[in-house]
Amino acid sequence: MRYAAPTTVDEAVGLLAADADARVFAGATDLIPQIRSGRPEPSVLVDLKRIDRLVGVGESGGTWTVGAATPTSTLTADEAFTGAFPGLSEASGLIGSDQIQNRSSWGGNLCNASPAADSVPALVANAVRAVVAGSNGERTVPVEEIVTGPGQTSLADDEFVVEFQVDTPPAHTADAYLRLIPRTEMDIAVVGAAVRLTMDGGTCTAATVALGAVAPTVVRVPDAEAALVGSTLDDATLEAVAAAASAACNPIDDKRGTIEYRRQVAGVLAKRAATIAAERANA
Amino acid sequence: MSLDPTSVAGGVGQSHIRRDADDKVTGAATYPGDRVPVDALHAVVVFTAQPHARLVSLDVAPAEAVDGVVTVVTAADVPVNEYGLTMFDQPVLIGLDDTGRSDVRCDVSRWEADHLAIVIAHTRAAAEEGAAALAVEWEPLPLVPDVESARRDLVLVHAETAPSNTYYEMAITKGDIEAGWAAADVVIEGRYELPHQEHAYLQVEAGTAWIDDEGRVTVETSGQWTHEDREQIAHALDLPEDRVRVIYATIGGAFGGKEDMSLQIVLALAARKLADLGISRPVHCRWSREESIVGHHKRHRATIEARLGATRDGRITAVEADVWLDAGAYNYTSNKVLGNAHLSVAGAYEVPNARIDSRAVYTHSVPGGAFRGFGGPQGAFVAETQMNKLAEVLGMDPIELRRRNMLREGSIGITQEPLPPGVGLPEVIEACAERAPTDGPRQPVPPFRSVASLPTGVDDPAIVRGRGFAAGMKNVGFSFGFPERCEAEIHFHGDAGDDRPTSVDVFHGGAEVGQGNHAAILQMTADIAGVDVDRVRGHFSDTAVSGDSGSASASRLTFMAGNSVLGAAEEAEKAWRDGARPAIGAFRYVPPPTETLDPETGAGQPNFSYGYMAQVVDVSVDTLTGHIRVDRVVSAHDVGRAINPELVKGQIEGAVVQAHGYVLSEHLVVDEGRIRNPRLSQYLIPGIGDVPTEVESVILELGDPIGPWGARGVAEMPYITYAPAVIAAVHDATGVWFDTFPLTPSRVLAGLRDGAADPL
Ligand SMILES: Cc1cc2nc3c(=O)[nH]c(=O)nc-3n(C[C@H](O)[C@H](O)[C@H](O)COP(=O)(O)OP(=O)(O)OC[C@H]3O[C@@H](n4cnc5c(N)ncnc54)[C@H](O)[C@@H]3O)c2cc1C
Repeated sequence: MRYAAPTTVDEAVGLLAADADARVFAGATDLIPQIRSGRPEPSVLVDLKRIDRLVGVGESGGTWTVGAATPTSTLTADEAFTGAFPGLSEASGLIGSDQIQNRSSWGGNLCNASPAADSVPALVANAVRAVVAGSNGERTVPVEEIVTGPGQTSLADDEFVVEFQVDTPPAHTADAYLRLIPRTEMDIAVVGAAVRLTMDGGTCTAATVALGAVAPTVVRVPDAEAALVGSTLDDATLEAVAAAASAACNPIDDKRGTIEYRRQVAGVLAKRAATIAAERANA
Repeated sequence: MSLDPTSVAGGVGQSHIRRDADDKVTGAATYPGDRVPVDALHAVVVFTAQPHARLVSLDVAPAEAVDGVVTVVTAADVPVNEYGLTMFDQPVLIGLDDTGRSDVRCDVSRWEADHLAIVIAHTRAAAEEGAAALAVEWEPLPLVPDVESARRDLVLVHAETAPSNTYYEMAITKGDIEAGWAAADVVIEGRYELPHQEHAYLQVEAGTAWIDDEGRVTVETSGQWTHEDREQIAHALDLPEDRVRVIYATIGGAFGGKEDMSLQIVLALAARKLADLGISRPVHCRWSREESIVGHHKRHRATIEARLGATRDGRITAVEADVWLDAGAYNYTSNKVLGNAHLSVAGAYEVPNARIDSRAVYTHSVPGGAFRGFGGPQGAFVAETQMNKLAEVLGMDPIELRRRNMLREGSIGITQEPLPPGVGLPEVIEACAERAPTDGPRQPVPPFRSVASLPTGVDDPAIVRGRGFAAGMKNVGFSFGFPERCEAEIHFHGDAGDDRPTSVDVFHGGAEVGQGNHAAILQMTADIAGVDVDRVRGHFSDTAVSGDSGSASASRLTFMAGNSVLGAAEEAEKAWRDGARPAIGAFRYVPPPTETLDPETGAGQPNFSYGYMAQVVDVSVDTLTGHIRVDRVVSAHDVGRAINPELVKGQIEGAVVQAHGYVLSEHLVVDEGRIRNPRLSQYLIPGIGDVPTEVESVILELGDPIGPWGARGVAEMPYITYAPAVIAAVHDATGVWFDTFPLTPSRVLAGLRDGAADPL
């Protein structure tokens, strides 16, 4: 295994284009454990953290930009970012532990393509876009188009995510993310739920609901979104949100949770996240 | 001649900072896995990976052909191919036909972690490559992976030595059981499934072996009893004990999991084989976490059926129980653990009529063995849950129910003998009643970390709260007639004219497993010698210089070591007065004898001392996700005398955390004789965010008449009552009794749906 630390996007693309077995990484908190547990070693490890565009967070002209290799602890510590996207910040702050968060990135969390990745439902709920670089230049795609299945992405061998972009939220808009694991930290989500709402005088005018760990990729729940829009989040609406979330699940049965358990908890977390998002948006 | 504690810096009763604290906190302390001599060879212990199979052939030549491999140790290198703490029933190495002088059949693997060979090489990588190159052929044999299948005896785990897999049984018959049922107004009946638990010590098994300057086979490792390790090594290597030396490096936790042999014998064999080959280099071995979890015993899983009869006013009339422990493939200490489960299933109560039958059963599964509480947690879980169910049926305060039945001074115990004097049970129960009465207000302490499925501060009607109570007792010291003893040697230094010694040496074998035993020994020595603790030097845990201490187990070491220190100091004091410089005192403390129990009635005096405990636990249950949080713990103990109060608190808090994992999250998956989740990412021990933020330790010092400075033990007691207290609190919150655990969120939710617990 060789280690390379390019300082420009072009240099990194060049390394990937030259060798199909080269792999990019940011925090390596997924990559190294995977190699240790027997996955094939890449020929070249391309460290993305030396490229300026890949690290940092900021807003300009109504758009927030987050470097794909930015440690998630930078995001949770950024008050302006956390104020604008409390749920995205929450989700980023749930990855692993303090130590892990000093390394873990959105780029890695997304492109590792685990169905249980914590930041991804919140990225989807906020309609975040990924800027992808490759030999043919750059393209911008919605994050939900990146992951195609467990461990699978739509990226070509010579492509990687440079940065994420998201519009500054309109007034009275907020998100929330909840997750269930048996412990309080250091475990993989049994269910994750992200909700983003825009409220207008107590009535919901826009909603996105996205669930993690209940299907091969993150699922949107249009029925829950439809129930929310136009409602005041009364009990009947919340029950409809829970029922729609449970119905949208297509989970696996494994050691961490049975299908039935995941379905039920997905409903619970979706309605709780909706309630929290609404409180934040109304505030 | 105990002096005023304030007159000696670091004497008894002071929370003096332990001497090993700095090194442990800064990382300077070296554990066995850190101590790799530069010229060391590296050993890999090859597991058979066969829960039940006959070895057909083993060819080591391909392993020896691997570049860097020095030699391979096999059964043919073991003079007496057997070991075992309380009975020799386990081969050191599985091999074709060479058992040396042992009767234990060694060509059959009965456990996936039976050892097949030791590959020694210049590097760890070469040793691993050599291990993979061994040519082995197995004939698989039918499995009895659990108690249910093993009890039918269609396949015998030890056909040569045990005609039934149910190889060890104990009985209690007391009073007139029929009369007891006739007098009962209510009967509580239950069937309980108690799970395995992994010790999960931070420091995995590791060690280094060499031949020392005096030609002794020397093993430096971690364990709980240097002299027992030495005896086991000497037996297998067919050496006189004084030709073997065992030294403990800094030990990173044990909890009973290092009481049995792991690397001790194999490292000694490796050192001997190298010496035979004329290679004078040390050999080092360290297990990975996976090897550790697969390769050492666990807390026994158990099935217990129990009946409890009582009058309407809450007097116990009868107790019946059937206990089955899954001993796994080898005895380890199962027969002794069974004894504790057997006694503790009766509870800490006056029981006029009883029938208890307990059995240990061999299976082709991971051996059960010593683990904090040593059978007490399984027995007491059932006893206390039965009592809490009785309180519910009677509509009685569970604390009041205990008051009406609890053992007190002069009570006759379940083995028909009076309890040793100094029964502190009433006082610990009242201490809990005072601080957290059953109907008292609940004051949740803010958690360390929010549960991400329901953030702190969100008040959701789905959250219900409850309070639970449990009480009990645990023996201090070895039971059932075991020849208990503990040795110490003390040297007083000074000039002829000195009134008091200017410095003191204490030599002791007691294992510092993290609990603070060496600190306690130093403080006790300082106190009795009348010198500041800084003037006391300790020489510990090396069979070349320290006597036989007995093990760091059974909550015994403060009690036993303290008494040995008192005796040795008295001897040294005499020599001092006679003018000897240094004045040397050596002493072997022997406590009052205990007895094996009558095989039919269980009558006899099994123990010489007990510690008493009671706990109140408050929980919140999220009824929509099944997540449980413990909001408050009150843990009351009669420790006799707190030699170092801060260390006593450390034991209480540590035991609560360990028991928290047992009852709430730790789920070892064992299936067809194999552990399926031997990783800490899959076997979930609690993190700092999961454990109770605050444990209110209530330390009562009522004094044991034969304890040093009155001290009893405390290490296991807070563990034992926690699971039944949590289960009672969850019932109080939800109305559902869980007769099995861990209470993972999904099991709780299923239980709330069905009104009872599902098996996992
Ligand atoms: C102890 C522990 C606990 C964990 N807990 C959680 C948890 O609670 N929740 C959770 O979601 N995850 C958890 N994880 C997984 C991991 O930490 C996260 O997925 C993290 O966000 C990965 O980021 P990284 O930068 O370390 O990824 P890396 O390991 O560097 O990369 C992961 C994968 O993504 C690819 N990749 C990285 N960056 C890019 C890019 N810019 N463009 C294209 N491909 C890229 C890499 O090639 C690799 O395949 C945990 C991991 C550990 C070790």
